[in-house]
Amino acid sequence: MLTKLSGGRVYDPANGRDGVVMDLYVRDGRIVGDPGRGAAPDETVDLAGKMVMAGAIDIHSHIAGGKVNIARLLMAEEHRATAVAADGLCRCGGGVASPSAHVTGCRYARMGYTAAFEPAMLPSNARHAHLEMADIPLIDTGAYVVLGNDDLLLEMLASGAGEEEIADYVGWAVNATRSLAVKAVNPGGINAFKYNQRRLEVDEPGPFHAVTPRRVLTALAAAVRRLGIPHPLHLHGFNLGVPGNVESTLDSIGAADGLRLHLAHVQFHSYGLEGDRRFSSAAARLAEVVNARPNISVDVGQVMFGQTVTASADTMAQMSNTRLAHPKKWAVMDIECDAGCGVVPFRYRDKAFVNALQWAIGLELFLLIGDPWRVFLTTDHPNGGPFTSYPELIRLLMDRDYRLAKLAELHPEVPKHTILGSLRREYSLGEIATMTRAAPARILGLADRGHLGPGAAADIVVYTDDADRRRMFETPDLVFKDGRLIVRRGEVVAMAEGRTHVVEPAYDPAIERRVARHFEERMGLKAVHFRIGEDEIRGGNGLVRHLCRPGVF
Amino acid sequence: MATHRDVVCPFCGLGCDDLAIDEAPGGGLTVTSTDCPIARDAFGRTVSSSMAAEPPRVAGVAATPEEAVRAAVRALADSRAPLVAGLAADVNGIRAALALAERLGAVVDHVHSEGLYRNLSVMQRTGWITTTLAELRNRCDLLVVVGPDPAAFHPRLYERWVLPAPAFQPAVREVVFLGGEPMAETRTLLAGWPVTVVPGDAASLASALEDPAGAESEMGALAERVRGARYAVVAWAAAGFTGSHADLAVERIVHLVTAVNRHTRCAGLPLTGHDNLVGANQVCTWQFGVPLRVSLAGGEPLHDPHRFAWARFAETADVILWVSAFGTAVPAFPPGCGVIVLAPPGTAVAAEPAVWLPVGTPGIDHAAHIFRTDTVVALRAGRLIDRGLPTAASVLRSIAAALQPETAAC
Repeated sequence: MLTKLSGGRVYDPANGRDGVVMDLYVRDGRIVGDPGRGAAPDETVDLAGKMVMAGAIDIHSHIAGGKVNIARLLMAEEHRATAVAADGLCRCGGGVASPSAHVTGCRYARMGYTAAFEPAMLPSNARHAHLEMADIPLIDTGAYVVLGNDDLLLEMLASGAGEEEIADYVGWAVNATRSLAVKAVNPGGINAFKYNQRRLEVDEPGPFHAVTPRRVLTALAAAVRRLGIPHPLHLHGFNLGVPGNVESTLDSIGAADGLRLHLAHVQFHSYGLEGDRRFSSAAARLAEVVNARPNISVDVGQVMFGQTVTASADTMAQMSNTRLAHPKKWAVMDIECDAGCGVVPFRYRDKAFVNALQWAIGLELFLLIGDPWRVFLTTDHPNGGPFTSYPELIRLLMDRDYRLAKLAELHPEVPKHTILGSLRREYSLGEIATMTRAAPARILGLADRGHLGPGAAADIVVYTDDADRRRMFETPDLVFKDGRLIVRRGEVVAMAEGRTHVVEPAYDPAIERRVARHFEERMGLKAVHFRIGEDEIRGGNGLVRHLCRPGVF
Repeated sequence: MATHRDVVCPFCGLGCDDLAIDEAPGGGLTVTSTDCPIARDAFGRTVSSSMAAEPPRVAGVAATPEEAVRAAVRALADSRAPLVAGLAADVNGIRAALALAERLGAVVDHVHSEGLYRNLSVMQRTGWITTTLAELRNRCDLLVVVGPDPAAFHPRLYERWVLPAPAFQPAVREVVFLGGEPMAETRTLLAGWPVTVVPGDAASLASALEDPAGAESEMGALAERVRGARYAVVAWAAAGFTGSHADLAVERIVHLVTAVNRHTRCAGLPLTGHDNLVGANQVCTWQFGVPLRVSLAGGEPLHDPHRFAWARFAETADVILWVSAFGTAVPAFPPGCGVIVLAPPGTAVAAEPAVWLPVGTPGIDHAAHIFRTDTVVALRAGRLIDRGLPTAASVLRSIAAALQPETAAC
């Protein structure tokens, strides 16, 4: 079946199209080139006057796994207040900051998102995360496996394992857990917390294994490069949320030593110590470094005001955040010689100086980092705010007057502490399309997503131009998933299963002996049972493999 | 005689994956590698139950699967207060049961949720600090077991998770039983180990922690040891707690763990999870946003741990669809209630149900995803034998498919 999408204004940065009026053709779920005069489309959709982009891709959103369920349990009040009835094809559920699986898929799809990636899948919790992701409808998913606090890796580093052996272990872990990328969360710090250490500096040897975070970070970044995994090491950095932590963030960039590195939710890692409150924006300092180093990419983790819940593997940081819990309850868990998780409900208030400055710091980062291919639109859902606040965030980036009006509503001290008021930049539609479509696909190695060239999956979103960009991005006219119309004017009109994106880097299987011994002797679980079979992912349907290219990245 | 090795045991939530099981020719399964009474009994049920596929029954009379499904659909379609419970199934079975419950507007609960709720009610109210089995095994230098010995529910707890020396802690592990006696088997297993039994409860230990001088000598000494531990684990099995407000005992433990973390590291380990209770709660929570004991009658999930506990709601329900795929005995229900049971052949029932649908046991008749007690680790148990039994998931899906669309309530 050939479908013609006729006469839309196409924003497709990967193919150099910035508002070009043109026709698109879709056959069997894929974009195809102009089939020529002889071909008669089976269906033509008139998009004259409409705006067309690829489906949006969220590279960092906590959508599944143990910590999300813990968040749902703690957010009992939210779920009572926001229960959602089944709505046509979407099943019932509920939640805003910790939405249920079906609600998650339906809300993403209604906003024109066709993929979202879980950025913190613990190896021991991988099977759960995959089972849960399979229950999220309409959007593609995938996950980044968390390494860097696992006792086995730390032990290998302590015993002087070489780069090749570390890469083999990382390769095994990515394959065994069916992951798309590698994430490090406060490398060394979560492990140190298990020995009652509440802070660990980048060059400080951790307890027991006596390995420095810098060593863990460089080892993992090098392993990712050696394995040729498209996405650079995805780093949740050091001292999250601690005033003055920009020094550690700059340290981590230094530790990467020119290797590609993705800094997650940098807003939470861009704090200085200036001013009488000893809490200041270091966004300009960080942006300057990011602008100068093409090996660095970031997602922002923008704070949006209101009630949310923070969920992170970083137990060291979350334990200290428990004093800020709102409502006053929280959960911390040490997990399986892997990592941990800390879940702390939180309310960001625009009249609170610190929260308001966090909001401004995030926007400063967006506006000061020049290259939209290296800065990604996230709220670190739900940590800075729920993903449903993206349309509001897009408006803040695209509309300076609106931004200034919002700035004026904040805590009165904030405008004096941010340069936001002086930043004139407004994101263009092309830049928004880059940071939410083309760039995420490229940095994850999803060759056939995030663009509208021939061969791409026909994940397509159609908008009506609206000066109110929030309204425009909140409710697209049409959303196609793999060529199928799934959303029309905010209503889900067809159900579709997502896919699970993975990479399968090659590694020397000799490492499996060491891993098997570790599992047999310590984990009370056999490595063969730990490994997730291909047939376990979406019942054997829907695994999408992406190429690893050792030495290329 | 065939032997299955490295079998994953799906029954108690400890997730043992080292079982050796003999399969008699044309006959049942015998666990040979462990004396665990739960594994031996559960796998051994295949010996006593007929290997030939037992037919479904409607009102006690043998029926075809189609007739039995039709009878179930008739009862459910007319129901005004259905209960979908038992919920003892693998992840796919739970998914199918929840989807059916949503169609019916039913109340949902798991047979063993009472013990889980003593924990969850505290967790939802205050939060907690917890840990997992491999952390216990490899990092814990002081294990404090509170209340009745959890080995009654999880027989291989000490063998697999306490006896092996910690790999990531330079210390010998001590075990203390607080306010409960170790079972005889536990004493035998821990013979030669530093084991103490201390009377009292978590609250008295928490007070002693704050004021060692004011405590009785034994409790004061324990408080000192907890303070001096590198990584203390406090374990309990709430299902064994007695008394009408057992959740308060859990709350005291949770407070104790939080208090110890002001001095050193300490984490709780709530032990639970027979018949994939933890899996049922996980799937329910990710699908509906709220845990078990949820009603879908209003079209949206409404969670109420009191009203929607299955034993209470069974008094109100007019039809009960009960899933017991692991073969746990089906309880008695109030008279006058239409009961549909999905269970393996040979499962004990208190009374002949209106509809009996035999299904396979997860991890015996079909591969199955189940969750371990610590909620983190999910395992895939394999298929060992073929008795020609359908999965609970497939039977539940065929019931849902046969329901008329207009009966959808949600």
